[in-house]
Amino acid sequence: MLDVALVSLIKNMSEKAGIEGAIQYWSRVGENLAKRIGEEAYMGWPSFNVALKEGRTAYSIEGDVTALTDLAITDVDGDVVGYIYALEECVFTPTIERIRYSVGEIPEADKAVAEEYNNTVQNTAVCNFCVIHQKYRSEVSKNITVENQPLECVQLANRGFRGDTKIAMRSLEKIGINPEYVRSLLRNYACVYGILMKGARLRGKDEVD
Amino acid sequence: MQENRMGTLGSHNPFVDVAAYLFLEDIGDKQGAAGMNNYLMSLATSLAKSMPKEEYSNWDDFLESLRKGESIISSFETVKCPTNLCVVTETCPFTRGWQEYTKRIGEFANIHKEVAEYYNATVKPGAVDSQCIIHQTFRKAAAERITVDGKRVRYAQIEAVTPNADDKRAPDEWLPILLDKAGLTETELNMTMRNNDCVWVLYTE
Repeated sequence: MLDVALVSLIKNMSEKAGIEGAIQYWSRVGENLAKRIGEEAYMGWPSFNVALKEGRTAYSIEGDVTALTDLAITDVDGDVVGYIYALEECVFTPTIERIRYSVGEIPEADKAVAEEYNNTVQNTAVCNFCVIHQKYRSEVSKNITVENQPLECVQLANRGFRGDTKIAMRSLEKIGINPEYVRSLLRNYACVYGILMKGARLRGKDEVD
Repeated sequence: MQENRMGTLGSHNPFVDVAAYLFLEDIGDKQGAAGMNNYLMSLATSLAKSMPKEEYSNWDDFLESLRKGESIISSFETVKCPTNLCVVTETCPFTRGWQEYTKRIGEFANIHKEVAEYYNATVKPGAVDSQCIIHQTFRKAAAERITVDGKRVRYAQIEAVTPNADDKRAPDEWLPILLDKAGLTETELNMTMRNNDCVWVLYTE
């Protein structure tokens, strides 16, 4: 019920705080949630990936995350510095379905917030909720270490409830993953992101934006 | 009891629930209990107003819709009606969110209780925490969108218990009136609360 109530407020919030204000609000929610979840440390990628599979990491709050272990991210020396991860279902799908039955339609402000975010922050949002959980992932990675190295999270691709997609070409290029491969992942997953060691010397580039 | 369509969409995501609570706490940090209370009430009223109005030709039809979860007022919870006017919520619809919060974040932040104290003192004594404020305000606003035989439906809260077992009963001076309206004795109320989370009453003007 709380989730549906919040959605019905998006329009209100956008009118009162403006679209930019709504983005700031959602970003702060993502940031606060990440801070409250706490820190984690893993001995290596296998232990992180097992924790993820068993629902023990902060990332598990988003639902069932699959570690695509065939898609390792490697650095210039060929060492594994991260992996690609995918969510089968968007975290907001259950909420959106409930809205369809109880309220009827998603407020127009939803799209407006996503568009503003795409234009001013990063071009990776398919709906206003992407703002919250993309910020959450990016902040939560700062609280996790693998082999004593802090992590960073990069948004790679996502598919919205209506089938619209966003593919972060620049980030894919930097981690050396073919965009067409990621596009095919969207047939089975709603959201694809990379978790890698912060500052890793990636092929061709020093760091992912 | 028949489950409504919303009930069949039982899947949820902990992220949304927990993020929503933290969003409310953020409001509480910035605006205090009074500001948070206004926000919760406006959130619930706005939700009810975004849902379609309803009209029923008689009380039995309304009760049928209520039990099936087809009425807006029971869209988010599974209810039963021990008497013609009394409604009982088996499980608080916020239970799952609260469980996810306590599992992943820790103890429920104090502001959720502080805001309920403010609500009880300034609006109506019936809330245990912030969740009750949303829920009870929603029920009131939703009831106002329903007519039975041309008469507007009214809602009153009798007792609620939250997932962490805190309880709030209507004040002593109101209780006999509410129980009389609901068609329950105090003993029956006690018995009902052993296995349910919320008891309320609906009636027409």
